[in-house]
Amino acid sequence: MTIETNELILSLQDVTKEFLSQERKFTALKNINLLVQKGEYLAITGKSGSGKSTLLNMITGIDHPTSGSIKVRDVTIGQLNESKLAKWRGKNIGIVFQFFQLIPTLTIQENILLAMEFVDVIPKIDRLKRVQDLLTQVGIADQANKMPSSLSGGEQQRAAIARALANNPEIIVADEPTGNLDSKTADSVNSIFSSLAMSGKTVIVVTHERNTSLKYHRIVNLLDGEIEVQNSQI
Amino acid sequence: MLVVFALVLGIWGVGTVFVSYFVLANDLNANYQSTNPSQVVLHSEKFEKLNLQQFIEKPEVETAELRDFSLQRIEISPNDWIPLWLYGVEDFEKFNLARIFPETEKIVPDAGTILIERDCKHITKIDVGDSPRVRIDGNILNVKVSGICFDPAQAPATQDAFIYAYTDKSSYKKITGLPNNHRLIVRLNNVHSDEDVKRVSDVLVNELNANGITISSVEIPKFNQHPHQWQLDTLIFLVGSIGLLAFIMGAVLVSQLMRSVMASQVRQIGILKAIGGSQYQVFQIYIAMLLLMGFSAGIIAVPLSVASGYAFSYFVAWKLNFNILTTSLPVFVYVLLFAASLLLPVMLSFGIVLKGTSISVRQALADYGISQKVSLREFKFLKRISDSGSFILAIRNSLRNSRRLAVTIMAMALGVAIFSTGFNVRQSLWNLLSNLKSELRYDVQVVLGNQISQEAALRPFASLQNVKKVEMWNGGRGQIQSKLLSTNKGAGIVALPYKSELLKLKMINGTWLSSSVELEIVMNQQACDLYNHPGVGSYVILMIGEKNIKCKLVGIAEQFEKPKIYMDVEKYDSLFNPEHLINSLMFVAGDHTYEKVVELKREIDRAIAPTDFKVLYVMSQVERVKIIYDHLNIILTTIVLLSFLVLVVSAIGMASATGINILERTREIGVMRAIGATPKVIYSLFVMEGMIVSILSISLGLILSYPLSQLAAIFFGNLMLGKEAILQYAFSPSGFWITLLITLLFGWLASRIPAKSAVQIPTHKALSYE
Repeated sequence: MTIETNELILSLQDVTKEFLSQERKFTALKNINLLVQKGEYLAITGKSGSGKSTLLNMITGIDHPTSGSIKVRDVTIGQLNESKLAKWRGKNIGIVFQFFQLIPTLTIQENILLAMEFVDVIPKIDRLKRVQDLLTQVGIADQANKMPSSLSGGEQQRAAIARALANNPEIIVADEPTGNLDSKTADSVNSIFSSLAMSGKTVIVVTHERNTSLKYHRIVNLLDGEIEVQNSQI
Repeated sequence: MLVVFALVLGIWGVGTVFVSYFVLANDLNANYQSTNPSQVVLHSEKFEKLNLQQFIEKPEVETAELRDFSLQRIEISPNDWIPLWLYGVEDFEKFNLARIFPETEKIVPDAGTILIERDCKHITKIDVGDSPRVRIDGNILNVKVSGICFDPAQAPATQDAFIYAYTDKSSYKKITGLPNNHRLIVRLNNVHSDEDVKRVSDVLVNELNANGITISSVEIPKFNQHPHQWQLDTLIFLVGSIGLLAFIMGAVLVSQLMRSVMASQVRQIGILKAIGGSQYQVFQIYIAMLLLMGFSAGIIAVPLSVASGYAFSYFVAWKLNFNILTTSLPVFVYVLLFAASLLLPVMLSFGIVLKGTSISVRQALADYGISQKVSLREFKFLKRISDSGSFILAIRNSLRNSRRLAVTIMAMALGVAIFSTGFNVRQSLWNLLSNLKSELRYDVQVVLGNQISQEAALRPFASLQNVKKVEMWNGGRGQIQSKLLSTNKGAGIVALPYKSELLKLKMINGTWLSSSVELEIVMNQQACDLYNHPGVGSYVILMIGEKNIKCKLVGIAEQFEKPKIYMDVEKYDSLFNPEHLINSLMFVAGDHTYEKVVELKREIDRAIAPTDFKVLYVMSQVERVKIIYDHLNIILTTIVLLSFLVLVVSAIGMASATGINILERTREIGVMRAIGATPKVIYSLFVMEGMIVSILSISLGLILSYPLSQLAAIFFGNLMLGKEAILQYAFSPSGFWITLLITLLFGWLASRIPAKSAVQIPTHKALSYE
């Protein structure tokens, strides 16, 4: 798999994240420098406590670095206030969580529509059709009017992916998306990410899986908050 | 913290009630009993024939005294005269009954001077050393005040706008010119009820009559009850109800909060059990937590209860003119309150904790907090209002936890219902006062202490300007009039033209007087009580003076009044008053504006001044309405204040429920923030949820307030106006809007405050929340 363009979409420069507890200071990330190209399929791996999820939180703006800067295209995330950041994130980054995190009181269709409503970039008139298209894309078109609790884990995760794609973001970020799924279901979910990458989306997946059959462009391994190794598989 | 807060509220509410009930129930009566009050009052002009000592030695009689009494007028400010109840006392240093207590050094008034009752100082600036003008018949004297006393057996002067004064017998005779010893006050032995007193007094009266001591009238006050006991009973009932409600709401709040606490502790319970803890050991931990919460609540709530209980008691005592005697509470009260604060949370949450700690390790560790199972509620009609995802989400979230929602709505609805009922009852009472104005269609009334000819009565007022009409009656409103002209049972007689346009009573049953040849009477409901509820159309025997007359009861009127019996003046005159003498003049003003009526009253007083009229009082309707309003004001104010407190408590309940909702959905909030929801959107979502609950609560509450107001009107009517009275239900439009706006405001605040805290949780913390 190759990257179609040579366009930089994400850059992390000397990003450090420290957490202060009552007794000590804990450095979750140390001077991380990472550049991501548009269309790249990137895996971030590492043991528990290596800083993977923290790094993901930095990229998505869910959390902020203690020092360093993070840019997505020309936008320095740290300069946005909470409101602008939320809107920016909804528009530019689609997030897929390990435990799906669908709103339980809304149907699958409504979950996706809600994401569109928050960001308001997709015209109202087009929203319903887009939902149907997304659900077809992830293979659960017939589950649109079901509540999340009546879906299987794999179906919920597909719904979550559809929600992440709701506003057609450039970047998809997934935090251990298959961590709660059996291997067969995990494979089918991973194939969705692969096809998204092939379609030109930048996909960043945090995973502890070392499945070499997956077609990542690059694997970044974290150890104790630092990038230990970057394996390009291109 | 919330649990402790809820406990504090509940215990404070019930503790305040308990403390104030403990103090008031005892103290008003103790004050009253400390006077050794009389149980029967007999009037006769023949008491010189009475051997008082022999009378006292009768087995039925505990003690008796000849205590003089007359109604005069006293000037409290220039040209402002009010009734003076003047008592002539046998011996100020030795009271056998109807005691009064000194408030100043003077126990015995100097000769020719008076002691005035302390409550009067709230309506006048008259003080010791002053010599206010007192009008006795046509004479005006300056009578010096030599001391202040306290008479807890009297109705408060502030409410009835009288002044009570006491002097020795010879001074009484000198001041009033009236003979002594025409009034005998008696305490009886072995009587335990109104019926016992009536029975024994009948025997005594018959004996006295048989011995040539003709008793012209008998007064029997309510047995063992202060004249304003009804006010205290009403207040205690109100406070008790509200306290109970506060307790119930606090209890509901506590159990709701404990349910959520246990829900949030599920994983911890699983972990405790996984590492070896038995259910009993885990149960003990949470019971200990509850006891600690109860203890914390107790050390705040118990002193608060005592303070507020006493504050309320002192307020009531000030209003009803009695002393708080219970200045310290017995130990058992404190023990009870602390025990309640410790045991109540345990009792309320026992089942919840038992259930919560019985969960298996596997179930507990697999629990991720709020249930993900939600059934689809397709409110299609809602989508017509708005297809906004946020709106739909707000509705669905509101209905998410149906038990909590039901409890929140019920608590809030109850608060709304009670608050609204408070206004409606106020409106009922205001309508009563308005009815009073419409039932009495004169502006100023002059009441004379004796009957005079019509011509003589009218003469001084011939040149008054603002007078459209004057009507002359015998008898009239109020206790004073009843003292002048009444039946032997104490029901005041009002003889007026049957066609009079100046009195339009609301008839509960039957009709008003007519031009019938029969002697017709109309009773108000209090007179009906006195005469054992005769039916309309039946014949009643009345004893007026020494005559027994048979009258036909044609109607029963609704009145906030002493017992009164109305009859046509011509029929009355033919039987009792051939000279057509009168004692009441009713003036109708040409200009009814407040200032003109007040001016008319002053002109009437000026016209009376040079006459020899024995004037008891001159009163304008506005003043009369004010007197009645003052009687009811304490209750009206308490109703509204306590209702407001209930609403506040229910709003706090709603805030806590919203807070729990937010806590349980912390991660969900994080997800929404992660997918693009701004803090404003999150905030709006929770406020919307809160407002949905508020609107549902308000709707239910306002519906509930209708039957509640009906019941409250019946209850207060019975309590305040007598068994025959029904306080009419009234809807208060201003109360409706105030209730609506305040509840919406509370609902907004109750959801806004937790919602603001929800948006302050950083997104990454919300996402990692368990």
